[in-house]
Amino acid sequence: MKSKILLTIKILIISILISLSLKNITMASTFSEEQTINITKNLRCLICQGQTIHESNSDFAESMKKYIKGELENGKTDEEIFSSLVEKYGQWIVYDPGISRNTLLLWALPLLLFLIGGAIIGKRILKKYE
Amino acid sequence: MVISQLGYYSLIFGLLTSVFIFFNSSIQLKKNNLVISNKTFGLIGFQFFFVFISFISLIYSFIISDFSNETVYNNSHTTKPLFYKITGTWGNHEGSLLLWLLVLTGVLLGFIFKSRNEPNNYRLLTTLFHQIIVIGFFIFVLKTSNPFNEIFPVQKEGLGLNPILQDPALGIHPPILYLGYVGTSIIFSAALASMISNYVNKSWAKNIKFWILFSWIFLTGGILLGSIWAYYELGWGGFWFWDPVENVSLMPWLSLTALLHCILTLEKREFFKKWTIVLCIITFALSMVGTFLVRSGILNSVHTFANDPSRGIYILTFLLVLVLLSFVIFITYENKNFTQKSEIFTLSKETAVLINNWFILYFLSVVLIGTIYPIFLDVILDEQISVGPPFYNKLILPFLIPFVLFMSIGPSLKWIKTNFKIGVKSFLVIVFTLILSLITVYYIGEKNIFVLLLFVGFFYLLFKSLDQFREKTKNFAQIFSHTGFSLLLISILLNSFSSKEIVKNIQVGESFTLKNEKIIFKKIAVEKEKNYESIIGFFEVLDEKNKIINLQPEIRIYNEPEMATSEASIKTTLFKDRFITINIIKDQNFFNVRYQHKPFMIWIWISTLIIMLGGMFAIFRKNKEVNI
Repeated sequence: MKSKILLTIKILIISILISLSLKNITMASTFSEEQTINITKNLRCLICQGQTIHESNSDFAESMKKYIKGELENGKTDEEIFSSLVEKYGQWIVYDPGISRNTLLLWALPLLLFLIGGAIIGKRILKKYE
Repeated sequence: MVISQLGYYSLIFGLLTSVFIFFNSSIQLKKNNLVISNKTFGLIGFQFFFVFISFISLIYSFIISDFSNETVYNNSHTTKPLFYKITGTWGNHEGSLLLWLLVLTGVLLGFIFKSRNEPNNYRLLTTLFHQIIVIGFFIFVLKTSNPFNEIFPVQKEGLGLNPILQDPALGIHPPILYLGYVGTSIIFSAALASMISNYVNKSWAKNIKFWILFSWIFLTGGILLGSIWAYYELGWGGFWFWDPVENVSLMPWLSLTALLHCILTLEKREFFKKWTIVLCIITFALSMVGTFLVRSGILNSVHTFANDPSRGIYILTFLLVLVLLSFVIFITYENKNFTQKSEIFTLSKETAVLINNWFILYFLSVVLIGTIYPIFLDVILDEQISVGPPFYNKLILPFLIPFVLFMSIGPSLKWIKTNFKIGVKSFLVIVFTLILSLITVYYIGEKNIFVLLLFVGFFYLLFKSLDQFREKTKNFAQIFSHTGFSLLLISILLNSFSSKEIVKNIQVGESFTLKNEKIIFKKIAVEKEKNYESIIGFFEVLDEKNKIINLQPEIRIYNEPEMATSEASIKTTLFKDRFITINIIKDQNFFNVRYQHKPFMIWIWISTLIIMLGGMFAIFRKNKEVNI
């Protein structure tokens, strides 16, 4: 029985690890249309109501699209573009909150609750075998 | 004008009736006079009737464009088609709260009617608790959001309804959504009542199950309508944006889904009593949180139309009172209700339900924290962050794999204890799943192993769910909802990984290509409608077999209020949607054209309908043996 639970835990750990490694699999360095879309999909259109730069046709969004294309042509990486935009407009502009001092709880809290929930359920099921 | 007055006084009478019902049922309970007399029943009927009259008067004021009414003035216009005059009634803050109240009093009436064979003290207590919510909302409507405020001098013309709300799907979206959203209130009242009357048992589960399913089905339908609307109206071809207002409808849905599985266990095995009650309370609290977030205007979102702090503070205080009340009742009556000894075997349906709840509550916590964390950060540290799709994808997707695996085997487990063995057949299912997943991943050209794992999990769930059709005692409710869920996940995944799009600025006569298709911009035409002017682009798409597909996206320039919207033109086939929108570029002859391939779009809607169908099977499967 315990092996089943161990297996479950293993599956969980593996899937978490895979998800964390996802971040490293990014697009190749050659600049493409898709890369621009990937970046603009993760940016907030600051003058719109809850739209991404990619979705919006506002002047702000259009000029941002041009700017990002230009930066990519200059050989900048995604990270460099994101960090320069965050520096200029603040964290508000990126849809990915990233892990920082301010957002540590945001990421950790749900995972913590998951572990606590798992512990409670695990205890309840295992109690039977004591 | 007179009608408006009628609506207002009707509301006041409604409030008075509520207060009367509240005291009447308390006295009855105190005297131990446990009959729901025709009087009480009649009063509840009257209460609903008063709100109904009020609601009808507001609709009437909208229909006749009575601009002495402030709500009508702010949200309607004489040139609007009749249908949108009517749907405009709930397309605004005041009217939508009146709809809240209508559903709130309606579900109580329905509950009292449907629970004729239940113990009367339980019914009376439910009425009592429900009146607390009803009175709270009556006061809220009358104090902060009166839909019948008058304007003097009377205006000749109204300000009009936001054009993006002038849409058939969005017209019926609020009533459907509210039936689910506000329907959870009766679950809350009944849960508190069942604790006090010591009635948390199998018969209670049977009784309240109907309302859980009722809310769940309508909430699913409401979310579906909202998504369909967002897909074609907002113009960029997505259907879910992890927007806070979408999240607040998803949270009670998740909680209801967890509750649904619990209540079936309670009905069958008298298990998880305490947890079921907690879930009942959580579900309604989440509905209230949602109402607070939307109605206070605290969110930065496409849906926020209202901005008034006093409303927010009222709902928040009221929510805290209700939560506190339920907390006190829970603590006080805990020992009286939950003394049963629990025994759970590792391989049993009970464990499967526990694991189901564990994951669903985790997903719920991700959505909840993702939605409210930025608000707290903003208030406390004055720092603004955006929590968007990347956050939810990273925290939810990896957990979906174990979740669907458990979901695949859960239904084939038995109550109490199962002896598990892997036969040749199950082995074949696994092999088949793997092969199909590999083919799919190869076909969409995705090399990521994680995507493969997602497909494996989703396909496995699909086959295991379909496999249930071979069982002797078929549980159609479970088969349909689980099959629908797996289809939904598969279609969403396929859709997000193989959508293609191209954005071009072109003139009439020019063309461009996407994959093997040629898109030609034929001509432009201008048409005048009653409430808007429309610029229509005529496009021809030559597909790979040289078949011509016509698409006519529009730009609508509404007159009241003056606003331009972009109407997508969509051609749906079984395997993909062709989706096109156009936009004007300022001072130029060019149009901004966005053309997209959205694979398996229709399956996202169909699978959600299948999920709902599962819920309906559960409602109509009456006295048969229940077997989740």
